[in-house]
Amino acid sequence: MFPGLLLPRCSPSQGARRKWKVVENAEKAGLLPCLPNSGFKRADFHPQLLLHWPRKLTNRELREAGLERHRLEEAQYISSWPRRGLRVGEGQQPLEFRPVPLPSGEEGEYVLALKQELRGAMRQLPYFIRPAVPKRDVERYSDKYQMSGPIDNAIDWNPDWRRLPRELKIRVRKLQKERITILLPKRPPKTTEDKEETIQKLETLEKKEEEVTSEEDEEKEEEEEKEEEEEEEYDEEEHEEETDYIMSYFDNGEDFGGDSDDNMDEAIY
Amino acid sequence: MTQAEIKLCSLLLQEHFGEIVEKIGVHLIRTGSQPLRVIAHDTGTSLDQVKKALCVLIQHNLVSYQVHKRGVVEYEAQCSRVLRMLRYPRYIYTTKTLYSDTGELIVEELLLNGKLTMSAVVKKVADRLTETMEDGKTMDYAEVSNTFVRLADTHFVQRCPSVPTTENSDPGPPPPAPTLVINEKDMYLVPKLSLIGKGKRRRSSDEDAAGEPKAKRPKHTTDNKEPIPDDGIYWQVNLDRFHQHFRDQAIVSAVANRMDQTSSEIVRTMLRMSEITTSSSAPFTQPLSSNEIFRSLPVGYNISKQVLDQYLTLLADDPLEFVGKSGDSGGGMYVINLHKALASLATATLESVVQERFGSRCARIFRLVLQKKHLEQKQVEDFAMIPAKEAKDMLYKMLSENFMSLQEIPKTPDHAPSRTFYLYTVNILSAARMLLHRCYKSIANLIERRQFETKENKRLLEKSQRVEAIIASMQATGAEEAQLQEIEEMITAPERQQLETLKRNVNKLDASEIQVDETIFLLESYIECTMKRQ
Repeated sequence: MFPGLLLPRCSPSQGARRKWKVVENAEKAGLLPCLPNSGFKRADFHPQLLLHWPRKLTNRELREAGLERHRLEEAQYISSWPRRGLRVGEGQQPLEFRPVPLPSGEEGEYVLALKQELRGAMRQLPYFIRPAVPKRDVERYSDKYQMSGPIDNAIDWNPDWRRLPRELKIRVRKLQKERITILLPKRPPKTTEDKEETIQKLETLEKKEEEVTSEEDEEKEEEEEKEEEEEEEYDEEEHEEETDYIMSYFDNGEDFGGDSDDNMDEAIY
Repeated sequence: MTQAEIKLCSLLLQEHFGEIVEKIGVHLIRTGSQPLRVIAHDTGTSLDQVKKALCVLIQHNLVSYQVHKRGVVEYEAQCSRVLRMLRYPRYIYTTKTLYSDTGELIVEELLLNGKLTMSAVVKKVADRLTETMEDGKTMDYAEVSNTFVRLADTHFVQRCPSVPTTENSDPGPPPPAPTLVINEKDMYLVPKLSLIGKGKRRRSSDEDAAGEPKAKRPKHTTDNKEPIPDDGIYWQVNLDRFHQHFRDQAIVSAVANRMDQTSSEIVRTMLRMSEITTSSSAPFTQPLSSNEIFRSLPVGYNISKQVLDQYLTLLADDPLEFVGKSGDSGGGMYVINLHKALASLATATLESVVQERFGSRCARIFRLVLQKKHLEQKQVEDFAMIPAKEAKDMLYKMLSENFMSLQEIPKTPDHAPSRTFYLYTVNILSAARMLLHRCYKSIANLIERRQFETKENKRLLEKSQRVEAIIASMQATGAEEAQLQEIEEMITAPERQQLETLKRNVNKLDASEIQVDETIFLLESYIECTMKRQ
């Protein structure tokens, strides 16, 4: 490209420190633009590179020549840099033979669309288990009343428990302690049983309270569950979430003030 | 399980079931059968999460359990079953070609949910079909049930092993896990149900009219309180039958490519006749007489008996040996050599890979060595008529990629290289295994690249989804053209370009995955049948 400028005045080994005469001449002649001065060592130009500007340079060659690629790009010594958008066979090791085209046509497209649809559908099914939302730093009052995510790691779908090993069944603990404390005062007025029976029932309830605080013990759990289930059926209608209020009426005030950003005409009380 | 297979399983599980299931599944595949507590301890996840993940995996037939002594239940994962998840679209498409939309949806529901009872399947499919039909029309349960029965009769769906009904009143504690049994005869037996009903269209008004206030948490048994008639009888997709079908398809298309349409139809008829009588791993089908074949040819084909006999003789004489003659009674008894057919298909795959990767001259050398079994380098040059330097280069290239192997035959006891014969040979089984391993790696790469591309453009994808949702809602409420235009312009032209490129790339990657899976199927079938033979 610059045939008359081949011979440098100093030897290549000293090129790191001295400016090549070739470059100086070229810059003065206006053939090479002046490079920005910020720390770029013009003297690092390897003479051979000047011969090969039209060729695309690879990273290795430049590294050996000790240049910084981006500066060269900035100064537009290198016009097109095959960084991204490499097509098949254009990398460091070019492929000798290109790959055969993929099957197209009705069948291919249908199966493709089906595959993408299945992928999307599987993410929506209850079998897709998302990692639990990390707990916020402070326990908030509204957490108790907001149904975010499955309760206590229970499963969203109902497998047939008869077919699965018993140990896999996750027992849902519905805030048992509070339930028991509410049950106790209400029991005497409701039941018209004898004193002995009430005492017996209180004893079993006490025992249950103890069991709740102890570790998981499979056999006791079964008895507990049976009794729980009985009481569950009895109490479920009245003690759903230990409140008398309908869930959907609850508003924890997070939406307050965030809705009407546009109309400032209406006064917000 | 090789590292490549485990990586691929991990990617598939993560894509379809999430990270927790992936962690548990990969751990089980790596370490074999383990009890519950050990899994929780080793993976560092909480016991509840492990239970959830195991429930999902067992439901989808990816993990099985076994009760060992002292009541310990151990769980084991099946790696090959996880890899089948790649093939789900192909199964569904095949059912569509055989049993149209109803069958397609039945198989899709069964694959997505692992196992279901027949009534559940029928209900879901009827609802889905009703959605797609015009207003006012609904899908009848009876039609769906009929398709289901047909699928069961042709063995495409089968019953899952069920809990045995214990007659003895066992006073002791029930076992920690049920041992599921299935009777061979009952596997395709459809229970006598009278499912009467029509599909329900999911209307928004129906959901509001649920009636009761939301405070009432719905009980576990949902709306219908009546007992399900086929409770406990679960159905799953019979993957082996599908594989048999794919294999038959491959053989028929190979014959069509090699000879002509008529001979492929004859082979297809023979395969269809032996579908149920021959087990999927048999080396050849039951012998069929020429008269039987003539009677069972499809109605459209009116070729005379002599022409059929000629075709059969031609097929039997073919060097590929797909069809063999096993006797002369009944006009000639013919069998299809399934194992030989699979071997030819695998060999053809190998040849095509060599051709596409190294060029047609290499392919010529490869086919030559395949034919002659063992060849010296000099002989290769002579037979292939390729100059010595090129031939040497190509042989070494193929050797380095493990398509070929070297057999040393020493002339002297000290194995001196100058006095040893070096013969090039192709061991099809090991080359097939090597290629299969490469296929697993390439699918893993394809999936990772697709995930990377999607992740890079996540922001843009979300924005475009939001814009689409806005446009859809505005169209529903009836907006003007100008407003819609304005909303559409929220996505600028370069962004649109980017989206186009992304969509094209993702489609290409997906199509490549499907293509590689077909190769995997052929190679796996070949390896399986060869291992069984040995």
